[in-house]
Amino acid sequence: MKGVDVRIAQESEPTRSASAHDRPLSGSAMVLRSMFREERFFLVLSVFIGVFSGLAVVCFRFAIEWCRIYILGTNPELSPVRLLLAPAIAGLVVAVAVIHVFPLARGSGVNQTKAALYIYNGYIPLRTAVGKFVTAALAIGSGQSLGPEDPSLQIGASLASALGRRMRLSRERMRLIAPVGAAAGLAAAFNAPISAVLFVIEEVIGRWTAGILGSVVLSAVSSVVIMRWFLGSDALFRIPIVEMQRPFELIAYSVLGIVGGLASVAFASGIGALRPRCRELPPWTQYFQPAIAGLLIGFIALLGAPQVMGAGYEYIDQAMHGQFTWQFLALLAGLKIITTILSFISGTPGGMFAPTLFIGAMLGAAVGGAEHVLLPSLSFSPGTYALVGMGVLFAGFLRAPMTSVFMVLEVSGNYSIILPVIVANTFAYVISRRLQPSAIFDVLTRQDGLDLPSMEEQREESVPRVEDAMEPPPPGVVTTDDLLERAWLIVDQAPERMCLVRLNPTGWGMLTRDEIAKLVQDGKAGASIGSVLNSGAMPYLHPDHPLDMVLRYIDRWPVLPVVSRANIGKLEGIITQHNVMEKYRDVRSD
Amino acid sequence: MAFEVTPIENSADLTRQPVSLALLFALAIAFFVFVTALSRIYHSQQHVLAVSSCDRGVADLNAGRYSAAVNEFRTALRYSPGNFDYELSLAEALLELKRADEAFEYLDSLRERQPDNGQVNLLLGRIAAASHKTDEALRFYHNAMYATWPSDQELRRRDTRIELIEYLLNADSKAQAQSELISLAASLNDQPNQQTRLGQLFLQAQDYERALAAFRLSMKSAHHNHADVAGAGVAAFELGRYPLAKQYLQAAVAADVHDEKSSAMLRITELVLQMDPFQRQISSTQRGKIVIQAFTVAGARLTSCSAEHDAPAPSSFQALVDKWTKIKPEITEHRLQKDPDLVEAAMELVFNIEHQTSSWCAAPTESDTALLLIARLHEGS
Repeated sequence: MKGVDVRIAQESEPTRSASAHDRPLSGSAMVLRSMFREERFFLVLSVFIGVFSGLAVVCFRFAIEWCRIYILGTNPELSPVRLLLAPAIAGLVVAVAVIHVFPLARGSGVNQTKAALYIYNGYIPLRTAVGKFVTAALAIGSGQSLGPEDPSLQIGASLASALGRRMRLSRERMRLIAPVGAAAGLAAAFNAPISAVLFVIEEVIGRWTAGILGSVVLSAVSSVVIMRWFLGSDALFRIPIVEMQRPFELIAYSVLGIVGGLASVAFASGIGALRPRCRELPPWTQYFQPAIAGLLIGFIALLGAPQVMGAGYEYIDQAMHGQFTWQFLALLAGLKIITTILSFISGTPGGMFAPTLFIGAMLGAAVGGAEHVLLPSLSFSPGTYALVGMGVLFAGFLRAPMTSVFMVLEVSGNYSIILPVIVANTFAYVISRRLQPSAIFDVLTRQDGLDLPSMEEQREESVPRVEDAMEPPPPGVVTTDDLLERAWLIVDQAPERMCLVRLNPTGWGMLTRDEIAKLVQDGKAGASIGSVLNSGAMPYLHPDHPLDMVLRYIDRWPVLPVVSRANIGKLEGIITQHNVMEKYRDVRSD
Repeated sequence: MAFEVTPIENSADLTRQPVSLALLFALAIAFFVFVTALSRIYHSQQHVLAVSSCDRGVADLNAGRYSAAVNEFRTALRYSPGNFDYELSLAEALLELKRADEAFEYLDSLRERQPDNGQVNLLLGRIAAASHKTDEALRFYHNAMYATWPSDQELRRRDTRIELIEYLLNADSKAQAQSELISLAASLNDQPNQQTRLGQLFLQAQDYERALAAFRLSMKSAHHNHADVAGAGVAAFELGRYPLAKQYLQAAVAADVHDEKSSAMLRITELVLQMDPFQRQISSTQRGKIVIQAFTVAGARLTSCSAEHDAPAPSSFQALVDKWTKIKPEITEHRLQKDPDLVEAAMELVFNIEHQTSSWCAAPTESDTALLLIARLHEGS
């Protein structure tokens, strides 16, 4: 079953006859007109994607709640039999459904959406949405330690993909439609449109462009509007008063960042190390893995920690309001890491967002409580530490640093928390990156046998620039007023066998040795260069341009001038194809 | 599964766009209607579950099972998030469990939603009072007094004011308590039980005149109410109206023979009336006898007080002993009848002895207490 999540999608990917840009058009006016129309249509479609995703996520929330009511019951105190058997039996049913009916529903859904963007031209079967809806609702409702956000993301992406196919969008638009749906699904599940947009841009698409941003924002906002229409606009938890009285308390939050970073590494390492082992087990065991995970989670709940079951938002609320001792909070954080690892590696469909927030909140409040015991003068507010802890785990485990900051701001609605969040998240992110070079989504991708671009690696990648490869300027440069004989003298000594010409008033041109020799033979040695220059202006580059930009021009111009941005007439250097190749060779060997 | 995808630039597709959008719109409406129906089922079920949990919570709360009540209200809130009444009940249960911080979080958000809710302000006032934040408590209690109450508005406001007065009295803020009591008195009718409570509160606030008035008002309707006569007795006693106090206290003791406090106060009152040599309607012989008795009591007080302490007595105490010893031979009935100045001098010494010994020696006897009260009665006269 290794790599089953996305390989099956590959098998059923549709073939395309032609893309928008492959087909001949009647004229440039028609191209512009049609492009404009498609762009506009795509924006309108984004709103519909948001509406459909929002409605689907609302149904998904209903389904989870109904599963919880009918499987676990409505009493505040759950009976031991139900605690043990409900998640186990539901796990068995989920396993059968995933193996035989919805094989693409395994896992969280973030990577599948990325795969749709980068491999399958935006194609996600609608069946995936149905499968994810059913199996994740059953799993989360029965108490598996997973959350509804990532499945909502995938449901949104899948619906968007289906709509895009029906609307016969171009390949370029089809590729973008899955992230647009993903943002809508995540925004509705999280009731946080900004965080959803940022997460999709930061972790799925990996780049900012006006076209993508507009569609993603429109879909996210419309889905949140729909969700709030049906489920109200209340936050997932009550936000307590945020306190930070003295600046030196940032040190206490730094400690939280360090602890959170280490916990993130433990959490990610657990999943990264155990998931392949579970997949290597004989195929028949996969029927029982979710059931065994459910049984163990039920057992932990029975021992006195029922808080670890399900998404656990109500317990985050309680932790924020100081209902648990710091020792119990620390225990809950540890147990949630274990139970989420169990649920996730067993292949049970469900997301990691909610468990990450749960672990972060518990850990944050626990660290804050412990610090307060050691240093009673600290203005301890469990809610503040829990909120910061949520951001810390988000930054450390999901490795989405920007989303982590904005998520806490959006959830808390309090700007004064930003300093502790930034400080703690930075510590967690740096520690997590140091101890676990690959982000969890990249690890999962590789375990699935795919090679999707890592957004984190892309962010961290240093792009070679023109200044890294260019040569110093040649000793002589002529102007259009100079005589040709001066150019002849210069080019005779130049290794590149050419002479750069500074054009009047701006711009650059070039004369090769052969051109000059021919002109001299024709008796034009005394003529001004401006009167004999036929080639016109040539392209020029700036030192900060990416190196690959050179390749756009190098086939026609063997040497390109590199000029200052402040003064285009000032030559900073020159660059040739040889320089570019040499630089790329160096980069590869590094 | 494979199918053809025609690019959007195709002219047929361009004309098809409005149709597609119309279809999408229709589909969205159909989906919306479906989810609305589903939502109604969902919310009605959630409502039923919430109400049943809340009912169980209220029963638990009334039965004093606060932890269970908290669980039930939390469950109710899970099914009906943000419900004002459930959050308020949960806060009440949390307060009963002494989890004031958590209760405050709920109440604070509830106050943001309904700033003029009486119950919310009252509970916030209680939390502030328990934390000894007097200014905050006053603000919340006042908010509650002028807030909206769902039923029995006047009664709830009055009860809130009484609760505030009790808090202020416990916090020893008697001046603030007295001003609140005056406002309370204006809002009360002549019902005996209300006046009795008012009188007791005035007593605690040491506003004895108004306390006596309240008890008297109450006694107009309920003549033999023990609480009223006892309270009136205390008020009259504190006002120094000992004959009146004697009447009331006798009535109180007669109404309840086990009323130790009234009995003790009655005995002291009787002693005050017996041992006061400055009463107008007594003969000089009788006055002399009273002075001798007072002088003897003061002497005994000096003796017992000296015996209590191993350490040498302060010089002022020794001076009193010397003075008492020096004057003692002169204190005879005959001399006292003839020399009114001697009566003054003897009683001044007696009062000085009682004052000094009250701060330096053990608790005074009832006779000593009576002498102190007589001293206070004639101070400045």
